[in-house]
Amino acid sequence: MRIAVDSSLCEAHGQCGVVDYELFPLDDDGFSAVGPSREVPDGDEATAELGVASCPARALRVLP
Amino acid sequence: MTVDLTAPAASADPYAVFEELRSTDPVHWSEAHRAWLITRYDDVSDAFRNKAFSNDRVRPVLARRREPSAASDVLGLLAGWMVVTDPPDHTRLRRLAAGAFKGQRIAVMGEQITAIVDSHIDGFLAGSGEQDLISEVAYPLPATVIATMLGAPPADRDRFREWSDELALVAFGTGGAARADRHERALRGLREMDTYFHTLVDHRRRDPGDDMLSALMARDGDDLLSDDELVAMCALLLFAGHETTTNSIANATLALLRHPGQLDRLRADPDLIGPAVEELLRFDGPIKVLNRWVVAETEVRGKRISPGERVHLVLASANRDPERFDDPDTLDLGRNPNPHIAFGKGIHACIGAQLARMETRIAVARIVERMPSLQLAEEPVWKDVLASRAMDRLVVRHL
Repeated sequence: MRIAVDSSLCEAHGQCGVVDYELFPLDDDGFSAVGPSREVPDGDEATAELGVASCPARALRVLP
Repeated sequence: MTVDLTAPAASADPYAVFEELRSTDPVHWSEAHRAWLITRYDDVSDAFRNKAFSNDRVRPVLARRREPSAASDVLGLLAGWMVVTDPPDHTRLRRLAAGAFKGQRIAVMGEQITAIVDSHIDGFLAGSGEQDLISEVAYPLPATVIATMLGAPPADRDRFREWSDELALVAFGTGGAARADRHERALRGLREMDTYFHTLVDHRRRDPGDDMLSALMARDGDDLLSDDELVAMCALLLFAGHETTTNSIANATLALLRHPGQLDRLRADPDLIGPAVEELLRFDGPIKVLNRWVVAETEVRGKRISPGERVHLVLASANRDPERFDDPDTLDLGRNPNPHIAFGKGIHACIGAQLARMETRIAVARIVERMPSLQLAEEPVWKDVLASRAMDRLVVRHL
């Protein structure tokens, strides 16, 4: 599984980082540093989905 | 014009005051608060990442005290809280604490929290006539959850409530000799809490479990939280996680009782609870205002803001800003997207947000399901406080 952030939509709410700061790293200003395609380690899929769903700006998604 | 958000009329209906401020003076110097009130969504959002606004609010106060007082040790504990530090200290504490609050760790606690919620509702339903939903359910519930999460014995849970009140009293300051006596008693109580948490930490160091305190002991590379830092973290969890959650549950219940159409909608579609709680947090969340200290010259919407001044970020106003939310004064449980900032934003965004969401979702869902005839019995009275959106009582009837 891979996840991505659309940086034009990210508003630095920081809610994904609360779910898991390793899967959803933030930069110094609190914006998502997930990038355009980030590998999710095996076993962390459920957490990744939780983090994607936590974004109030809908800036995160699971890549197809 | 100077606005006082702690005046009784403003406490009863702050949203009318916020609307006026947003449209006439969105960056308002309040002589009453000796602070700037920032009320528009975009300005509050920007303020969260403005380096001129600092969270380092306790250490400067401590540094100004010439002699150590009875309060120093307790204030020292508060000064180390990550909510009142800036990077890099904040970054380190936050990283060390983050593992304990991870989504998956919180998710598995759902069953345990449901059992705690149900036992409080059982107690409430055993009573009859008019009862206070806050003192019977919304207030004791989060203290029990926190005590359980820290692995404290059930018999000690009432003490957590007392410490929580004492922490609020000390952290929000007192002002005036009339309350000095209460303040002194609170400090004595908190020294007892300090000893208690140190004993709990010792115990968990020797005998770790699957509780949150054990999780907070995890290493980050070579680094780990010291015993004093763990004690401060326990106290912070109680301070930040108790009253806020009480108010989330109580305000959400009140909003539903006042919007029977939305309450029926939730009853008919219990799966709506996720977005419903987000909307309830936006509509009438637990925190009105977050404070920052100004440490560098900056400008917001043309107003010059100078070092040494304070700014109040009015979350409750930002969440009703029509520039950001369509029909902001309408409660719409299905609102999506819902970029409310009830949990703050950026690096200080509430670390316990997932836990608070889960507690509020379970509590609201169980109240709605188990009290189908719930009715408001009297108009609630709001506390005249700046930071919280808090009722004294929420007196209700159920048949």
